[in-house]
Amino acid sequence: MMEYISIVFQPISLFTILLGTVAGVAIGGMPGLTATMAVGLLVPFTYTMDPTMGLMLLGGIYCGAMYGGSIPAILLNTPGTPAAVATAIEGFPMSQKGKAGLALKVSVVASFVGGSFSVLVLLLFAPLLAQQALKFGPAETFLLALMGLAGIISIADENSSLIKALIAGLLGMIIAVVGTDDMSGSLRYTMGYIELIDGIDFMPALIGLFSMIQMLELAGMRKKHEIDMSALHKKQKSEPMPKGITKHIALGSGTGTVIGVLPGEGATIAAFISYNISKRISRTKELFGKGNPEGIAAAESGNNGCVGGSLVPTLTLGIPGNSVAAALMGAFIIHGMIPGPDLFNEYADRTYPFIISLFIANLVFLGVGLTVAPYLAKIALIPPAILVPVVSAFAVLGSYALNNSVFDIYLMIAFAIFGLLLKKLNFSLEALILGLILGPIAEGGFTQGMIIGKGSPWIFFESPIAKIMWVIILLLLIPPLYSYFKHTSLLKTPDAET
Amino acid sequence: MTKKYIDLAVLLFFVVMAVLLYNSTASYTGIAKTTSAYYVKFLAVFIGGLSVIQLAINLFRDKNNYRLHLSQHYPRFLGLLIMLIIFALVFEHLGFFVSAAVFIPVVALILGYKNYLTIIITTVSVLAFVYLIFIKLLSVNLPGFNF
Repeated sequence: MMEYISIVFQPISLFTILLGTVAGVAIGGMPGLTATMAVGLLVPFTYTMDPTMGLMLLGGIYCGAMYGGSIPAILLNTPGTPAAVATAIEGFPMSQKGKAGLALKVSVVASFVGGSFSVLVLLLFAPLLAQQALKFGPAETFLLALMGLAGIISIADENSSLIKALIAGLLGMIIAVVGTDDMSGSLRYTMGYIELIDGIDFMPALIGLFSMIQMLELAGMRKKHEIDMSALHKKQKSEPMPKGITKHIALGSGTGTVIGVLPGEGATIAAFISYNISKRISRTKELFGKGNPEGIAAAESGNNGCVGGSLVPTLTLGIPGNSVAAALMGAFIIHGMIPGPDLFNEYADRTYPFIISLFIANLVFLGVGLTVAPYLAKIALIPPAILVPVVSAFAVLGSYALNNSVFDIYLMIAFAIFGLLLKKLNFSLEALILGLILGPIAEGGFTQGMIIGKGSPWIFFESPIAKIMWVIILLLLIPPLYSYFKHTSLLKTPDAET
Repeated sequence: MTKKYIDLAVLLFFVVMAVLLYNSTASYTGIAKTTSAYYVKFLAVFIGGLSVIQLAINLFRDKNNYRLHLSQHYPRFLGLLIMLIIFALVFEHLGFFVSAAVFIPVVALILGYKNYLTIIITTVSVLAFVYLIFIKLLSVNLPGFNF
């Protein structure tokens, strides 16, 4: 093992990791640019590089981008990546209270712990975990999506209407149905637009619903946007981590790693499930949705926990854990390293330094985050009249850049206008986006499960894993439903009304 | 229009959408009939059912008879929206750089910002940043004139 560590600590290796990670943070921080896109773009460039260096560069980008998505989510309510949506729900309200520095600090520390933990798991248990992940079939995938969607009930805790939150979630799932039906190959609800053949991408929706709505509201404010400046002027570096945050980071790290190991599952679902569980166990539930650092800690450690987790099936079985891992697998293959047991025997001198380099990448973004965060927090001081046009221009660019499609810009604007109307009518936009992101995963799991079960829904209850997952889903649903109905019945009592 | 009636109209739209969505599954063919169609039916039934329940609640309990305002300052709100639509319309023809070079200062002026020097510096900085990162570093293809 020492010889692998020495490879990583060579100056050229350290410089490569540094370069990749910083680039990853920048890419993840820009809405519309994803880790998949960056890794995919750079894979051909690594062809002429030393294979180990090339893999370290791509690994750095992966780690950096996963963290980078949280920066605009916290500062501008614009998640850089879909995995940072849950971070935006808590991070942006903290920014509005002048606590952007603390939110960024919690985010980077949680990302570091989640990322490092998952890489440690990858290093120690990869082959063992890969075998377990193979037992996860379509039925279990469907149930995993249901676990994520259970978050809708929690979102309703904060708002007046549970029914409206559910309607918004279902609306998101219906929007996700648009496009090509995977089962028959025929087009559904595309209304003749060829741009909709691949469905509605969630990035324009995300930018429209989170970023653009925020800009429209800022532009239309009669009074100046008020931010608590006092907290911003404090020395952010010295602000301690909130008490009791450790358990939320630990929870997110574990959840993210486990979900990351499951083939096809992504950081977004990990972040939402971690966020949801964190909300359930929190002593300050009432602060969720209003700027609770515990939510940021769980979501960020959850999505970064996916980094190491997603590489477990990728490296050991050749089954990519998610789209970025698939792009990384391409890099392994073009360097003649076919994923499987050989990676840990024949190519151990490349694979282990790559895995160890991910620890360094985590350390690099921790350093970047802690040193740069206090300065980034000053974004809140930019006058809205300057912030609005700049963010709007980036929203247009971000919507376009993913698919090089002007149609996506129109979609973004449409989502912003329709989303603003729904928001004013107290529909939950978080539930809508949750449905939009998890809808395809739920549909894929459901339809494949129905085929395997020969049309019988019992397939979703048969396996021991499925039974355990149903119990977890019920545990996630019952407490918030109980507290919701208790809360609403209390509101209806004469005492409460007066 | 009051919030109550707009809410009712939106919910009614969801009910109609649910009915159309449910009926659309009749056109599903082959294996999709017993897989995707069930999934879509499930979504249609639930969103339709919940919308009907919410409609009933709103009809009998909702007392929000105040006007619904999407914005407190319509000239600025609509100004941004119109500029955004124009930006999207000309984006493909003029390219990002020319469109953004007009969009950013005009919107800043619409929103009441008067410091011209800051506006110019901000616009140039944004364009330079996009050029270096998107064009030079990441080779993203932006439409129109790209230097």
